[in-house]
Amino acid sequence: MIRLSGIRHDFPDGPRVLEDVSCAIEPGEKVLLLGANGSGKSTLLRVLSGLVTPSAGEYRYRGSPVSPAALRDRGFGRLFRREVVLLFQHPDTMIFNPSVYEEIAFGPRQLGLTDIDRRVTRWAEVFGLTEHLERPPFALSGGEKQKVCLAALLVLEPEVLLLDEPTAHLDPRSVGWLVDFLFDLKVTLVVATQNLSLAPELGERALVLGEDHRLIYDGDLAALLRDQPRLIAANLVHTHRHRHGALEHRHFHTHDWD
Amino acid sequence: MRPESRAGLERAALVLYLAAVVALTSVHDSQVLAAALGLVLILAGRQALALMRRVLVSVGPFCALVSASYAVMMAPAGRFSADYLILVNLRVAALTALTLLVVQRIKLARALGFSRGLLFVVTLATSQALTLRRVVEDYRLALKSRTLVRLGLRDRYRHSAASAARLLSKALHQSGEIALAMRARGFFDDDAPR
Repeated sequence: MIRLSGIRHDFPDGPRVLEDVSCAIEPGEKVLLLGANGSGKSTLLRVLSGLVTPSAGEYRYRGSPVSPAALRDRGFGRLFRREVVLLFQHPDTMIFNPSVYEEIAFGPRQLGLTDIDRRVTRWAEVFGLTEHLERPPFALSGGEKQKVCLAALLVLEPEVLLLDEPTAHLDPRSVGWLVDFLFDLKVTLVVATQNLSLAPELGERALVLGEDHRLIYDGDLAALLRDQPRLIAANLVHTHRHRHGALEHRHFHTHDWD
Repeated sequence: MRPESRAGLERAALVLYLAAVVALTSVHDSQVLAAALGLVLILAGRQALALMRRVLVSVGPFCALVSASYAVMMAPAGRFSADYLILVNLRVAALTALTLLVVQRIKLARALGFSRGLLFVVTLATSQALTLRRVVEDYRLALKSRTLVRLGLRDRYRHSAASAARLLSKALHQSGEIALAMRARGFFDDDAPR
């Protein structure tokens, strides 16, 4: 479904953020994209959603190259934007309509769908947003905004859902809800996170970006979590001193406090 | 060139720039302003075309809107002046081109190195500008990712209005936070409540 070959990306007048990234993602896979801050996770998600054109390498979606020219093609561009959706790290970035209803209806309205009301009502129910439909989305809490954004993306019934640090701004209750929701969701999922404690709840396969912006691991998540040297190399674990009564010691941790 | 000499040159260039800004805002002759714009483009050398493009992108839409509004308001009353319109637009273009060229050629932090206060202001302004630029880019990409067909005027307006409001609120919030952090580090000790 998704094929990346030798992807490299440099910011204009800036540093390299991706180096020789190659991988394939099949339909229905739930993939964790792991890496320390600045390793290139967000940029890779933006490449996958066709928002950033890599400096080198090739990206294919369902066998078709994804490029600015391809996305300008009305048929492919519309299909791609409908099937591949991205939840940005900050939900505020995505919200601009005057009401929650309008926000969710934004995508279907562009497609000229006839059952907009049914779709909005259904997804508002799924996310527990029914009572907020007439409210301006920017007046909601962080967790509720996240739900509005997810509803606005899922109302299009996408094939691929890309999530950028989806738990970063959520309270514990909302995190629990999101984990359960994603567990049942029947889409191809790519979740960028550095929260290793939640990773096993979100997917089975891991892609790890190293601090040199290369893909340093592509495989089973459980095996990665047992591979301490690799986790240390990727700066995904931390060490600190513990006190157990009079005993003090230190060791690496794979948990997170999020 | 030694760093001190370089800083001295940049400081002199900055003073010249400030003098030029005062001069350009005081001159009311289109020919002089056109010549000034030409001089700036000559100074830009091979980057003249790129500079002019940046001028058009950064102030072109604004100038077009103001000029059109002026024409619509003044023409029915018979008070429309093409000379005035040319003068104003030339002044904006010359000032913008000069500023963009100076920002490109001079390292402000080095030129203002003689004053710690000014240095703080430049550093804070630069950090704010970079943060807000990232936010604007995120808004743009988020809209692009949700755009399936060419957007209508209503959606464009809604997005611009929401982005501008959010940007202003973020800038205000950040300024407040920075001011608090500076106070916590003793910057405003003189007027701190006793």
